Amino acid sequence: MRALTRTHSIYESTKNGEENMKVVVKAQGLTKQYGDILAVDHMDLEVFEGEIFGLLGPNGAGKTTTIRLFTGLTKPTSGAATVAGRDVIQEAIKAKEHMGVVPEISNLYEEMSASDNLIFAAQLYGVPKKERGRRVKELLQLFGLYERRRDHVGNFSKGMKRRLTIAAALIHKPHILFLDEPTTGLDVQSSRMIRNLIKELNKNGATIFLTTHYIEEADQLCQRVAIINQGKIVAVDNPEKLKATTEEQHIIEISFSPSEDLESKLRGLTYVSNVSRVGDKYRLYVEDTSEVVPLLIDFGRENHLRVISINTLKPSLEDAFVKITGLSPEVMATEKEPVKREKSGSVG
Amino acid sequence: MEALVRTWIEHIIKAVHIAKKDAKIYFFKWPNITFGLFLPAIIYLAFSVGRPTEIPSTIPGLVAMAALFGAGAIQSVALPLERATGTFDRLLAAPVLLTTIIIGKALAGFLFGIVLSAAYSLIVIPLSRTTLTYPFLFALGVILSAFVFSALGVCISAPFRDIPEAMPPATLLRVSMVFLSGVLIPVATMPNFLQLIAYLLPLTYAVDMLQQAMTGQIIAQLFLIDTAALIMFSVFFFVAAVLILGRTLQ
Repeated sequence: MRALTRTHSIYESTKNGEENMKVVVKAQGLTKQYGDILAVDHMDLEVFEGEIFGLLGPNGAGKTTTIRLFTGLTKPTSGAATVAGRDVIQEAIKAKEHMGVVPEISNLYEEMSASDNLIFAAQLYGVPKKERGRRVKELLQLFGLYERRRDHVGNFSKGMKRRLTIAAALIHKPHILFLDEPTTGLDVQSSRMIRNLIKELNKNGATIFLTTHYIEEADQLCQRVAIINQGKIVAVDNPEKLKATTEEQHIIEISFSPSEDLESKLRGLTYVSNVSRVGDKYRLYVEDTSEVVPLLIDFGRENHLRVISINTLKPSLEDAFVKITGLSPEVMATEKEPVKREKSGSVG
Repeated sequence: MEALVRTWIEHIIKAVHIAKKDAKIYFFKWPNITFGLFLPAIIYLAFSVGRPTEIPSTIPGLVAMAALFGAGAIQSVALPLERATGTFDRLLAAPVLLTTIIIGKALAGFLFGIVLSAAYSLIVIPLSRTTLTYPFLFALGVILSAFVFSALGVCISAPFRDIPEAMPPATLLRVSMVFLSGVLIPVATMPNFLQLIAYLLPLTYAVDMLQQAMTGQIIAQLFLIDTAALIMFSVFFFVAAVLILGRTLQ
C-alpha cells in the first residue's frame, strides 16, 4: 500500500495559522454557471497535504461540478483552481499528472479485461513500460481482482468495478485522489471495503478529496468537511468542531410501545424545539435534558405508553448539517436522478 | 528544444495507445467489418440493377465508399458512445491533450478505413480482371480517403453526447455524399448546381483520384487538385473536431 501513492511533498504554499500545512488543492472564487443555474458559487477552498477532505451536500448541491472543475473536466466561468500548485486550466497537463480521478459512475472500458484497463490507464499516464506489468499486478492483487484479471469488466459487479476504477486512478501513484461519491450505490460490504481502502491510502500519504451525501461517511472518514449547499460552501471545519456548533442543543432519543405516530404530540411538550422520527424512535431537540426527561415519563403514562428506551445523545454531524443548511436530513437520502454526462445545466 | 521534442513524442505515443484501444474495442469487430464490406456493395447493387454499368468503372467508387463507411461510420458512433458511457472523461482526466485524443481517434478510423479499402481492392480488382495502372498512386488515394473520412467521422460526431443524437446527421451526410460525389452517377452528367455541391464534398475528390490512378488516364493538374483537396479537407475536419469538442466540454 505504501508504494501506491507518492508521499514526498511537492507543494508551494502554506496557510496562515496552519503550521506546516501545505495546500494541495485550492479554489479561489471558483464559479461555474450553466445558463441560469449557478452550480458552483464563488467557492474559496483549501485542502491540505495528507488529509481526507470531504465535500458534503445534498444531490444537486454542486459537488460533482466542483470535482469536475478541480480535475479539469469542466472549465470555470470565473475564478481559479490549483492542484499541486498547478493551475488546472493553464497548466492542465502538469496538474493532471499529480491527480487520480474516480468518478461517481465507474467509467471503465467494459469490453476490455481488468488487466487491459489498467494497462491502458498506465499508458495514458506515461507509466514506463518496464514498470507497467508489475504495477498492474500489484494493484490487481491489492484490490482483490487478480484472479479476475482476464475477465471483461462488463461482467464485474458494481463493487468490483468501483475497486478497479480506484485502482486505475492509482496507477501513476498520484499525490491527490479525487473521489466522487465513492460508495454511492454499493452494498454494505463493498462500501466498507472502499472506506477502509481510502483510510489506508491516506495513512500512507495520499491526500484524498471526496464528495459524499452520506453524513455518516463524512463523519467517519474525513478530517475536515466542507458543507456545500446550492453551490456555496456554508461551513468548513473538522467534524467535531462542526458538531460543536450545535452544542447548545441537547438531544433525547426515546422509543415507546406501542409505537404510533406521536410526533405532533411530542412537539407540543415544553422545552422541545424539534422532533424527528428515526426508525421506531423519536429524536427530541431540547433546551434542557433534565427538565424534559420527567415530562416524557409523564407523557408516556398519560398516553398509556410504555417507555422502551431513553437516551441522551451528543449532537451528530447530521445535526450540525441540519442546523447549518436548514435542510432536513432526508434531503441527503434522496438518490440522484440519472443525468446525462457533460449535459450543460446538470449539476451534481 | 530536447524537452519539447520529448513531450511531443510522448503525446504521439499516447495517441497511438488511444488508437490501439479504439481499434480493438470499436473498429476491428466482425459486425463492423462485415458492415464496412457489404454496405458499399449493397448500395452499388441496389443502384445498378437494370442499368448498364461496367464493373471496372465502379471500382474506385466502391473502394472510396469502403473508406467512407469503414473509417467514418464507426467513427461517428465511437466518440458519442465514449461520451455517453463516461469513458471519454477517463481520457480527459488523464494528462493528455484534447488534440492527442482526437489524433488517436482519427488514427483508429484511418487504419480501419485502409484495411477495408485494401480488402475491397484486393477482392474486386482481380475478380473483375481490371488492370490497376498506377498501384502506388491508387494506394495514396486509399490512404488520403481513409484519413479524410476518419477525420470527417470525428468532426460530425463531435457535437453529440449520445449515439441516437449523432446517427441521423452522420448517416444523412454520408448517404447524400454517395449520390452526389460521382460514385454512382458521373459528376459531369449532373445538373450544374449539383456539380457545384459535388465539388464541396471530399468523396468527389477521392473517387476522381482513385479513378485516375486505376485507369492511368492521369491529368497531373487534376490529380494534384484531388490530393490537395483531400489533405485540406482532412486538416479542416480535424481542426473543426478539436474546436467543436473543446467547446462542448466548456
